[in-house]
Amino acid sequence: MILYDYVLSPDCYKIRLLAALTGAKLTLRAVDFHPGGEHRSPAFLAINPAGTIPVMQDASLTLTDSAAILTYVAARSGPAWLGDDTPEMRARVALWLAFAQRLSASIGKARTHDMLQKPADIVACRKAGVQCLREIEAALVERHLMGDAFLAGNRPTLADIACFPHSMLAPDGGISVDAYPAIRLWTRAIRALPGFVEMPGIHRLHDLKPEPAGVQA
Amino acid sequence: MLPYWTPVALSRDLAPLVVMPVVVDGAELALWRSASGRIAAWADRCPHRGMRLSHGFVRGEALSCIYHGWSYAQSGQCQRIPAHPDLEPPEAIRVPVHRAMESGGVIWVALAEPAALPPALAGLVPLRSVTLDAPFDPAAAGLAESGGAWRGTLAGVAVAVLVQPLPENRCVLHVLADGAATPAALVDASRGVETLRRQAEEALA
Amino acid sequence: MTDPIRDEWYPVALVSQLGPEGRDTRLLGEPVRVAWHGGAITVTSGGRSLPSQQRYGHVWACPGTPQRPLFDIPEADQPGRRLVDVGLVRVKCSPLRAVENFLDIAHFPFVHTDILGAEPHTEVGRYDVAIREEVDEVWATKVHFYQPQAAKSAAGGITTEYMYRVPAPTVSILYKTCPPRPGEWDVITLFVQPLDEELCEVWPWMALFDDDTPMTDLIHFQQTIFLQDRSILENQLPHRLPLDPGLEIPTRADLTSVAYRRWLKRRGYTYGAQLVAA
Repeated sequence: MILYDYVLSPDCYKIRLLAALTGAKLTLRAVDFHPGGEHRSPAFLAINPAGTIPVMQDASLTLTDSAAILTYVAARSGPAWLGDDTPEMRARVALWLAFAQRLSASIGKARTHDMLQKPADIVACRKAGVQCLREIEAALVERHLMGDAFLAGNRPTLADIACFPHSMLAPDGGISVDAYPAIRLWTRAIRALPGFVEMPGIHRLHDLKPEPAGVQA
Repeated sequence: MLPYWTPVALSRDLAPLVVMPVVVDGAELALWRSASGRIAAWADRCPHRGMRLSHGFVRGEALSCIYHGWSYAQSGQCQRIPAHPDLEPPEAIRVPVHRAMESGGVIWVALAEPAALPPALAGLVPLRSVTLDAPFDPAAAGLAESGGAWRGTLAGVAVAVLVQPLPENRCVLHVLADGAATPAALVDASRGVETLRRQAEEALA
Repeated sequence: MTDPIRDEWYPVALVSQLGPEGRDTRLLGEPVRVAWHGGAITVTSGGRSLPSQQRYGHVWACPGTPQRPLFDIPEADQPGRRLVDVGLVRVKCSPLRAVENFLDIAHFPFVHTDILGAEPHTEVGRYDVAIREEVDEVWATKVHFYQPQAAKSAAGGITTEYMYRVPAPTVSILYKTCPPRPGEWDVITLFVQPLDEELCEVWPWMALFDDDTPMTDLIHFQQTIFLQDRSILENQLPHRLPLDPGLEIPTRADLTSVAYRRWLKRRGYTYGAQLVAA
């Protein structure tokens, strides 16, 4: 599985994260998104005419959408992440995979605007980003009340992987995450999963590692 | 500085090893819970380089700054500087510590000696905390003051609302609900909180 | 009449990324336009043409009257080096905080975990710091630190030696052990463009001996490192760099930053600084 990848892209990171959690082997092809704009080059447009990342190629298959790539990696390497336990869970996974596009269009754009000077209607992006975070927070509160700790049910699925990165990276685009206690606990639970990997802007949980020997805590 | 207890979080939302930023009377604080369950509310600033401690991490009974790993004991005293593992940190390196207590499933902070205890909240369970980009208007929400909280019903469920004022006319509402309500009724109450927020923010717009 | 702030040279664009549309940006709170005129690049501000030049992959401009030439990086012209344009990153922080963070190694195990540092290798040993009066630059030398992956080309953990150099108030140059070429130093710079006192654009740039790593991987390695710092830089209080002692507590590991602050104050460079403890 070849992933056309950019280290600072939350949508690319989702794929790397799922691969790390499922043990899938990825071959990474770094795309000079910034500053080079390689995603608009003729060679890249020949692979993905939309000029977006991530892109996955595996044998004859080319996937240009992060939800589709997540689904493919899970189906190949970790089918439990598809969340097929019940019709409800399956539907919620589909819901949050679609919802993640709203996160990319709001928080994602605010972030590339604030960080990399890409054009965006920053006020509108931030407003839409706050709305997205409020909806995730409300959904997590409801799942907790029904006894579940994750977006689609009682265990992590693609729904969580799809929405986790932008929920953590919102401050990069000037959107505070201080006001969302359920999101805070949920993102901690994801960061504590065995095999979790970070990306710039998402620090690992240093509390999972003991203080170095020889000191009293 | 306000001589009374301000609600800052629901106990449930501050699990062990969690640290979060909260604002009390305009002061930015790092609220955290140790592995053994002790809570603390500190100035949200590491004395070393000014980094927010609410970005830090908790190991055991200490809070560490994410920037250089300086760790602070419950007293606020710096106990370890990783760049100099053999150095005993001077007593001057200390984070200002504020009063914090838990009562009724809620965490309370006071910047000055409080005159009274937080209100009694018997028979209630924590529902959720929500931040409003608007002031809280209890009358518009159909709530009335009783026993130190705003009480009434949301979506047919009895609730008590505690208000934490924020700068710029914003606030956090900490909502508790009838402990006998079913999970489905509590979900409805949570949606009632969303409606309350929408109305408050639309009234402002 | 000289002005210690306006008379400095600042980066305002990456030459390789300056398209025909030019670039509208800001310098010290004032609008600045970088544009092509014929085959040359011009920098204007408020209808006035600013002194400008192209060097180290970037366009440099001076809002005032240059009192000295742009600092020299002799390694930039050394044959065999690959010059890496890492590209801009905007950060909501004081330009001086961005430079100071770049001079700091003690944060590596916590912010660049398993790349530039890792517990339990957190100790910062003694190193030398001096303000070199003859060139009026801050230098830190004999800085040693254990690094799990010191560079893209590093195969495993090594103890890296660093030298830091501050040749101008918003520029820092790092000389670092070069894994493929012992005896030479890799050069990694941080060029900071102050937009306002609490907002800057950072232009990392590198001159490396590394013939094997693809250019994009070199760029991404450095972007990874700098973006790990960004959430720190945007959350330091006060936002401006305190130049007077008292508000922050340095230790021996911070001698470079102590010298940097003293040097800034001596030069009267106060843009992005806080002078009196709040």
